[in-house]
Amino acid sequence: MTGLKKLISLASAAALALSMCTVSVSASEAYDPYNYDRWGDAISSQAGYTADGFVDGNTIGCGTMNEPADIFVSHDDLVYIVDKGNNRIIVTDLEFNLVKVMEDFKLNGESSPLKKPTGIFVDRFTDLIYIADNENGRVIKCDTDGNILKEFGRPESELYDAELTYNPNKVLVDKAGNVYIVVRSVTKGAVMYNSDGKFLGFYGANRVEQTAEVLANAFWNLISTDEQRERTAKNTPIGFTNFDIDELGFIYTVTESTETTTDLVKKLNPRGDNILDSLGAADMTFGDIPPAYYSIYAKNSSLTDIDLGPNGELNILDFQHGRIFQYDKECWLLFIMGGTGEQLGTFRSATAIESHDDKLYVVDSRKNGVTIFTRTTFGEIVTEAANLYNDGKYEESLEPWKSVLKYDGNYRRAYIGIGNALFNRFEYKEAMEYFEISISRGRYSRAFEGYRDEWLKENFTAIMITIIVVVVAFLVLGHLKKKGKLKFLKGGA
Amino acid sequence: MLDLTQGQFVKHVITHPFEGFEDLRWKKSGSMKIAIVIVCLLFFQQVAFSRLYGFQYYSDYDKIFNIVPYIFRSFVLFGVWVVANWAMCTLFDGEGSMKNIFIYSAYALIPYISGYLIGTVLSHFLIEDEYIFIQAFEIIGLCWSFVLAISAMKAVHQFSFGKTIALILLTLVAMVAMLFLLVLLLTLFQQVLIFVFSIYTELSYRLRV
Repeated sequence: MTGLKKLISLASAAALALSMCTVSVSASEAYDPYNYDRWGDAISSQAGYTADGFVDGNTIGCGTMNEPADIFVSHDDLVYIVDKGNNRIIVTDLEFNLVKVMEDFKLNGESSPLKKPTGIFVDRFTDLIYIADNENGRVIKCDTDGNILKEFGRPESELYDAELTYNPNKVLVDKAGNVYIVVRSVTKGAVMYNSDGKFLGFYGANRVEQTAEVLANAFWNLISTDEQRERTAKNTPIGFTNFDIDELGFIYTVTESTETTTDLVKKLNPRGDNILDSLGAADMTFGDIPPAYYSIYAKNSSLTDIDLGPNGELNILDFQHGRIFQYDKECWLLFIMGGTGEQLGTFRSATAIESHDDKLYVVDSRKNGVTIFTRTTFGEIVTEAANLYNDGKYEESLEPWKSVLKYDGNYRRAYIGIGNALFNRFEYKEAMEYFEISISRGRYSRAFEGYRDEWLKENFTAIMITIIVVVVAFLVLGHLKKKGKLKFLKGGA
Repeated sequence: MLDLTQGQFVKHVITHPFEGFEDLRWKKSGSMKIAIVIVCLLFFQQVAFSRLYGFQYYSDYDKIFNIVPYIFRSFVLFGVWVVANWAMCTLFDGEGSMKNIFIYSAYALIPYISGYLIGTVLSHFLIEDEYIFIQAFEIIGLCWSFVLAISAMKAVHQFSFGKTIALILLTLVAMVAMLFLLVLLLTLFQQVLIFVFSIYTELSYRLRV
């Protein structure tokens, strides 16, 4: 009797412990972390990042923010937040302690305040600050004290259509000091100036998506007269929304569009060519794969900001669902986090993302603050494994991938990673198993080829003996049959 | 002359594309049992092609398995072909009976079925680059069956070549029409069923109150 009681109490204690365990895990995020499997179906996953802080103007100590529009972490570890509604730039350190507020900008000694600034960039080589001063129609280059050194106004060129407005939205600067400006009304790409303020043209336009309508228009244009052509609607691509530059000088762009799938994310070389094309851009998907099971609204993602992490990760912000998609430098999806809502880690109107080390900063223009995400242990292991894998160190990545599987048995890339490591060690049979689980046919085929070759080499003698025996047997039987010695075989065909 | 068993006739027919079916007709041979087995094999081949194929060539969405498409692609399509062909041949004064059309058509399918089955088996031993060998078996089987089908139709109805081709084309058209009507019928029955069921629901609610 006492034994039974003991057993029951032990079992209930174990059950209680277990349930507490699961509660603490599932309650840590305000949303269900998920990932996509081989078929593009959403499956639940572990959180790669966890939201562990939210700062607004009052916690920073500079008064309430009003529609913050952009955030930038400079090379000297200062955080610049563009407070659009209050026409100022808030500068803090990485712990969000106020360093200063930039409000007074001076042009040639005279005050020249900002009007709804929307973008900021700090040049790592010159320490100069570039601000997209949206409603003033200019981009300013200023030093850290707010003295404006140069204005990049409306291009004085016939290339820039006279009917277009000029409201700079985002800005960045490359190594050579060329300034790239995203203007919402321009669809030909970013407006490009050299460091002296000379207009150089447009950079990196998107392509038009090939729809049936576009093809039909191209056909009619072939046979119509010039006057008719004048009157037909032009096929213009959608201009990209935001961009970021990496240390090598490649510019990454995102396009906020729910209608098209062409050129949503691009990696541009200095000539303006999309080099993701050579990585197979046609097979890549960014944002939610519709239909997204975990979303309330069956809407396409609308990618509003992109940021480059320290290892070349792409952090892409989806305004529509308030989600952050992190991809590694080969554009493999790593994690999805965030959502819409009021809780920590969800957003009402996410507008900008920036990363520093293992942290992500997301600006919400309606919550008027910055949400801080920190990478979890799971996220660290996955990042380590993915980095090793992308550097071609398949065998070193074996152990990290194995521990990834301990956290999340659904993580497809881990199976591929382990399979590749085993393949490099010539353990074909085991590699085949992992490739089969991860449903990667091409890799499976290569592993199978190795396995088959090995099998043939090992069993060569046996196979040859069998073939010789069978051939000899047939020859002997045929010979005997011809001579009529095997009468019982005659009836056969 | 040509005193063959039913089994031997199958072999004779598929290895003699031009006079095989004429011989079959002349001897009034052909077995319904074998024909039914062949149609069942057709069904098995359809399932094998999508479920038992080598992983390095083909991986199906395996979270759900629905048997209906396979039944449709084997039993239903074959049945519709036989009925449509019989219906058309009566218009053309063909001599084939429904039973003979069934048997002759089934015999003509053998190279197609075996070509794909051999391909399915080979797909477990070859790698992606060697797909051409599998493809060769499948294409040869398909073409062979096509030739046999023309020969079978020609023999069973005692038609000229041109008339046979016309018959086959018309049969295909008739199949489409039949399938269309079939779908229409099913949809209508579904509507009737829903109607009856909603009346039942209505009544059951009223009676409860």
